[in-house]
This record gives sequence, structure tokens and C-alpha cells, in this order.
Amino acid sequence: MLDRISPFAVAVLAALVGVVFAIVFMEQESDVAVISMVAAAAVAAWFAGRIGVPERVARAAEINPGGVSAIAAIGGLAIIAAYAEDHFPLLMLATVMLYATVALGLNIQFGYAGLVNFAGAAFFGIGAYTSAKLVGSGVPAVLSLPLGGLFAALIGLLLVFPVVRTRGHYAAVVTIAFSVLFKTFLEVNDTFGGPQGLPVGAMNLFGWDFGESPTLFGIEASFYLNYALAAFVILALAFTLVRRLERSWLGLALDAVRLDETGAACYGIGIRRAKIFAFVLGNVIIGVAGALYGCMQGYVAPTSFTFSDSLIFVAIVLLGGMGSPWGMILAAAIVVVLPEKLQAIQEYRFLLFSIVVIAILLFRPSGLLPRRVRRYFPEGGR
Amino acid sequence: MSAEMLLDLEGVAKSFGGVRALNDVSFSVGRGEILGLIGPNGSGKTTSFNVLTGLYKPDGGKVVFDGADLTGATPQAVYRAGIARTFQRSRLCLELSIFDNIMVGNHGRLNQGLWHNLFARKALKAEHDAAFAEARELVALFSPALADTLYESVGALPMIERRRIEICRALIARPKLLLLDEPSAGMTHDETHQLMSDILSVRDRLGGLTIILVEHEMGVIERVSDRCVVLNYGEKIAEGTYQEVASDRLVQEAYLGSA
Amino acid sequence: MDLFGQYVINGLMLGTIYALVAVGFTLFFGVLDVIKFSHGDVLMVGAFTGFTAAAGAAALGLSHPALQLAATVVFALAGTALLGAVIAKWLILPLKNAPRLNILLATLMLGTALRESVRLFYPDGSNPKAFPALLPTSAWQFGQFTLRVDSTILVVTGILVIVGLHLLINRTRLGLAIRAVAQDEETARTMGINYTLIVLVTFALGSGIAAVAGVMDGLYYNEINFGMGLLLGLIGFSAAIIGGLGNLYGAILGGFLFAALQMIGAVALPFASAYKDVFAFAVVIALMAWKPTGLIPERASDRV
Repeated sequence: MLDRISPFAVAVLAALVGVVFAIVFMEQESDVAVISMVAAAAVAAWFAGRIGVPERVARAAEINPGGVSAIAAIGGLAIIAAYAEDHFPLLMLATVMLYATVALGLNIQFGYAGLVNFAGAAFFGIGAYTSAKLVGSGVPAVLSLPLGGLFAALIGLLLVFPVVRTRGHYAAVVTIAFSVLFKTFLEVNDTFGGPQGLPVGAMNLFGWDFGESPTLFGIEASFYLNYALAAFVILALAFTLVRRLERSWLGLALDAVRLDETGAACYGIGIRRAKIFAFVLGNVIIGVAGALYGCMQGYVAPTSFTFSDSLIFVAIVLLGGMGSPWGMILAAAIVVVLPEKLQAIQEYRFLLFSIVVIAILLFRPSGLLPRRVRRYFPEGGR
Repeated sequence: MSAEMLLDLEGVAKSFGGVRALNDVSFSVGRGEILGLIGPNGSGKTTSFNVLTGLYKPDGGKVVFDGADLTGATPQAVYRAGIARTFQRSRLCLELSIFDNIMVGNHGRLNQGLWHNLFARKALKAEHDAAFAEARELVALFSPALADTLYESVGALPMIERRRIEICRALIARPKLLLLDEPSAGMTHDETHQLMSDILSVRDRLGGLTIILVEHEMGVIERVSDRCVVLNYGEKIAEGTYQEVASDRLVQEAYLGSA
Repeated sequence: MDLFGQYVINGLMLGTIYALVAVGFTLFFGVLDVIKFSHGDVLMVGAFTGFTAAAGAAALGLSHPALQLAATVVFALAGTALLGAVIAKWLILPLKNAPRLNILLATLMLGTALRESVRLFYPDGSNPKAFPALLPTSAWQFGQFTLRVDSTILVVTGILVIVGLHLLINRTRLGLAIRAVAQDEETARTMGINYTLIVLVTFALGSGIAAVAGVMDGLYYNEINFGMGLLLGLIGFSAAIIGGLGNLYGAILGGFLFAALQMIGAVALPFASAYKDVFAFAVVIALMAWKPTGLIPERASDRV
């Protein structure tokens, strides 16, 4: 049935449905409405899978990746625009985008190079604390985002030696230990505000004050619109970077290291170099996202950057499908939005996530949007 | 050591714990030669390959390849010097496509620069297209049908096709020396002979590739090898043409003893 | 001197608990080459089961502490052994051939699920519970140095459990079967060993030992809470790793080493003893850089 419609048209239609659904969904207040919409979405997704929508969209992305990315970007902006006046939905959207960015960073480490990082929340926290310390201390805010990434990478360098030397479970213990160490350190250290944390000033980018409510077309928007747009830009940059990385010789080398270190070494691939590259690049991306997150929240505290939060990030990567950038965004949306909208399950969210991840590992280990075979360049008509 | 020798092993030794896996092993391989490396199970054939390719550091002895000392070099340095290998148990990346797997073998010739890979997409595309054409041509030498499916994932292929891809992965970078570790493992008799014919014809087209072949199918060794080295319990016990070593008393004892 | 003595006793106490947890990790790794990260939370479930059993015994009119203690230990052991076997059967064996890290993740998530279940569904589960003092609270006095009877009983019990486990593994038919399975699944099967059964028994055994650690922890601190398993599991895992996975004695060494690090951190760091965990985990990370496969390395694995 779908064969008669061009792949690109299918992608446009799918995006349209997705955007309308997202806008309507976020409008809902009652648990009944939210649950029925989730159920409807699940049925629709199943049906779409049956008639081959994902394959057609993926096909469109193979033929015209720029076009598909543009549709997705327009869709994302449309959702943001629909809620330009409301604080809470914008905060939620921005959180989705920043979590997706973190997942993209972890995906480089975990999905490509095979380096497990159970300290994602710690590097996210380093970015956020960088903002807390820098914004309002005379350092131009425009620097606080890259500096957040830089500090995350630098502190990550402390771990590089053990991370690169160890494998598998031994590597896992390094990041798990760091994750616990980081939170404990923040709690006992007065310079970082102890358990109460620190306030973070509003960002100011080239005179663009993020604390002010922007006025667009005569409508006064929420000041969170600033953050949502900034998060959108960061996500778009991270996405492009990860996409290009995957479709390059560097991405291939990371895959080879993950799948078979010995084989990769015998074909000249520098194992340590590849791992260090992936670890540092991933941490930079996570740190930048954290820096913006800190500003957006207005305060940072150790309880936001615990081992459990790291596990949620890892869960996003797995849920989305290791190595699949689109999957990261979808999974971040599900993991952030669902518990926020479903107040009934808010309390049970950690329990539900853990059960969902176990189910995925048991029954669909490649995730919701499994990674596809790498095509370095669009097909060009063939 | 004569000048036309490509590879010289001199007194190479390797122990694991108290077990001597290789004891004072010396042999040479001439340019363009096919050397059969044979011996009973556990005689040290694969260990020799692992020492040669830098996966194990030898405890003693010397490895000289093409005039350069490769003793104790890293696997990466060995690869750069022009030695490529296949593995006894297939080590293809099953999740990746045929093309990806072959490009893993091409790593050294592809530009791995950060800027080139992430931002110079035009230059990368030109490089990619050239590499794709080259890979296609190479695969077509083994199996024309396979050459049209370079974007299929390797996991779906039967064993013989995987072996072919693995050999393409080793050949794409045009090594001077190819180490084949039991290419017949997991394949039928006919498939093995088919594969060896492919390798021989590809070798003729590439011109002057040197090969060391570890194999337990003696029919294959007899057919393709110029010369054989026989190992037993980590020591070289015989060397010569297949006919010579096959009639050697020590060799017969080694094989009968293990049978 | 008095203070130093207290630190030593405290360190021995913690070391024993850690070693008991680490031993479980190593047992599981031995038979299946997997890390079961939910181990710490199984311990927590054990502590809560024991707590409930003690309360139940008290409610039934068994007022003697020894009876309550017996109920605590029996129920904690039985409950966790069963839980361990169930986890092995339904979660770990089905994932046996998946990538190793998938199992680590699945069990990490299972740990979260157990933790959250207790928090949400145990009556008033989100608050700490006062664990009853079931051991004699008297103390021996040696000059300036006070030795509490309960601590002594706990340390001795823990060490007896470790010795018992050592004997079980090395001197019994069951131990032989466990060692055979740890060596190689195929060989064990050809020897006529019921592979699945031995795996389940090993998981039950390791989990039961964790319950002992959990009850010890409760008796020592007189408090348990739903989150106690996370840190204990993490420390046990670290201990097993720094010792070298799959080596029973490495795990015990690792457990005492970690406790020693915490004590050194608490005594020696000039600024604040609050940093003792930061210090201990930092040393763990440094140890991993120095000895990437642990102090007593695992048998070499990657066959070429």
C-alpha cells in the first residue's frame, strides 16, 4: 500500500502526525486522557510498523538525509512554538532535548566505542556546576556552555587511564565508582554548596538575557522559550556531529573497537586512541548539555546527579537502540514526558523504567528504533 | 639471511606460565612464496601467528620483516609494515555490512583525520567512492554476486562467504604478507578447495603476494604450498617441500602420536 | 590507642560484611561469567525479610531475642536464596548468550526495581527501620579498650561463614560440581552434572550469604533502609573487582581492603572524615588503572 507513496511523502506525513500528536498530548491534563492517548499511540506505532512506515521513513533518510532532518527540525520547532507562552511544557521540552543530547554523547561512548559510562549524570552535573560557578561571576555566559563541556572532558581525563586500560566489567566499576564518588564529594564539599547545592544565574548570550521573556510577533512568550531554543540548537549540533561521526571512517573504527578489539588492532586501529577520543567527545557533549541544564533549572544540587540518574541516561540509550541517533530522541521524549504527564505514575517512574528496560533487554535488545546498516552517503538515485 | 627473504624468524620463543608454546623456532619465507605451516594440534602454529602479528610478545628471538625488525612490535605496527591476517575463528564484525568489514582492513589507507571525517564531507565522499569501487572489484574476484550486496550485513552470510569477506578484508590494504589461519575451519572439503582456488587466482592478479598458510587439511597444503615448515610441541621438526616433509620420519611420528 | 582499637574493630566488621557481599559476586561470575548487580538489593530484601520475621516472631509472642534472631536468620536466608534462584532462572539464564554488559544492565535495573518495590510497597518503606537489637549488648573491658559482645559475635559469625564457604567449595561434592561448572559448561555437562541446577544452587548460595551480610549490617547499625543495598552492592562489586573476578580469596581480600581504605580515609585525611568514601572509591579507580584485571588476575580469556 505504501509502495505507491514516495518515501519522502511518508516521512512528511509521519512527522505531521507526530507533531500534532505531541502538541495535543501535552495539552492533556487528566490521567484518563493521557493513558488513552498513550494506548492509541502504541496501537498506531504497532500498526505503522506492520504496514512498513519505519522502513519507508528510513528509506527516505537514506535517499535524502538533509530533507528528513529538516522535516524533523521544523516539527520540533513547531511543537516549541505551540507552547511558546507556557512555562511548564517548554521546560519539559527543553529537558527532553537536553536528555537526548546526553544520550547522544553516551551513544558515542557506549553505542559506538563500547565504553560503558555509568557516570553520565556526573558529567552532566559537572557541566551544570560549571554554570553555577561561572554564570554571574564575571565570566561571559557565552563561555559557560563550552567551558561546561571542557570541564566535563578534563575531569573525565582523570578516568581515562583506568577506563582505557580496563575492559567490560572492570571498566564498568570505574565509572560506577566515579558516579558515587562525585555525588558524595558534592554533598560534603562546602565550595559547591553541600547537599543544598548552588543557585545558578540566568544566562546572557551577547546581550540576549535568558531571564527575560522574549516578545515574538506581539506575544509575550515564556522566558523558558530562550532555553528551549538554546537546547534545540545544542541538540541539533550534537545530532549532526554524531551523525557525521557515525558515517565516517572514525565511526567505523569505533565500531571495530567495540566489536572486536583484537581484530581491530590487527588491522592497525589504535585501540586506546579510539577509546580516548570517544570518551572525551562524549563527555564534552554531555557537559555542554549539563551547563545549559544548570542555567535552566536555576539551581544545582547533588540529588539531581546521582547514580540512579546515570542509569536513566543509560536506559534512554538502550530504549532508543544503541547506535541509533533518532532512537535517542524518541527514547528521551518517552522517558521525560511520560512520568511528567502521568502524575499517577510519577511516584513509580523508577520502578517502571527499570521494568521496561529489563523487558527491552529480554525481548527487543536492539531498542525501539534499531540502528541500521551504515550508509556513508545518500544513495544518489541508485 | 638472504636478500630475497621477506620474513625471517630467528630462535623465537614464547612460554605461557611454565608451558613452552614456541621453543627456538626459526624459518624464513621468500618473496612470492606460499609456505605451509603445519603440525598437530597445539604444536604452536597459531601462537607463531600471534607472535608474528604482535598479539603476543616473544620471550626471545627475532622477527625481521622486509628488512625491518618487528620483534615485539604492536599489532598496529605489524599491520603498517604490511602483514595482514585472518583468524581461525572468524572475527568479522557480524553487525556491520560487508563494505564496513572490508574497510576495517583498509584502515591504514583511509584518511583518519578529524577534520576530514567530520567536516570535509566532499573530500570524504570522493575517498569513499574510490574505496567502494576498489572493494567491489576485489569482492567480485571472489564472488560476483556478493559484489552487488556490499551493504548487506555480514551476519546473514554463510560460512564460505564470510571467509571470502575476511580474506578481502586482509587483502584490501595490499599487504606484502598474508597469514591465513586455517581457512578451512567450519567449511566443507569442496568449499575449502573452492576458496583456495579463489585465493590462488586473486594472488596471481595481485602479483607476488606472499602467503603463510596454517592448515590441517593436508590436501590443501599439498596443492598450494611451495614449501612446508612442520611444528611439534613448539619446535620445528622438519622443513622442505610437501613430499619431503610428508616422508619425514619425525613428522610421521608426530602425526601418528597425536592421532 | 583506644580509638585506634575501635577503628580496627569497625574495619574488621565492615570488611567482613563487604567480603560476604563480594564473595557472592565472585561465585556468580565464576559459574556464569556474569555480574549480577542486583546482588546488593537482594541483600536489602534479605535484611527486610529478616526484619519482618523478627517483628512477626515478636507479634506471635516469641519474646526471647534468640528465637527472634533465629526467625530473622532463617527467613532472611530462605527468602533471598529463593529470590537469587528465581533471578538466575528467569533473568540471567535467558540472557546468558547476550553481550555481557546487557546482563550487567538488566541486573542493575532489577536492583532498581527491587529497591523501588520496597520503597513503594513495604509499609512505610521509604523511611529507615529500626532493626531490633537481638544480640547481647554487654561489653568486655580490656583496660581502656572496650570490646562489644555483639560486634564480636558478628565478626566471628561472618568469618565462620567465609570459612564454611571455603570448605563447601573445596571439600564437598557440591563444591566440586560448582568448580566444574565454573571451569567449563561443556565439561561439566559431560561429567553428568546438572548444569542448570548447579547454577541455580550457586545463585541461591551467594544470595543467602548476602542475606547474612544484610542481617549483620542491620544488627550492627540497628537500622536498615531501602537504599542500603546500592552502596553495599557497589562496594561488594568493587571489592570483587579489585580482588580479581572469579577468585574467592581475591574477593575476601578486596572486601577487607575496601574497609581498610575507608578506615584509613576516616583516620588519616586531615580535613574531614566525610571524605572517606570519596577516598576509598578514588583508590579503587586508581587500583583499576594500575591492575586492570584485579590484584589476583582472572584467567586469560580472549582466545585468538
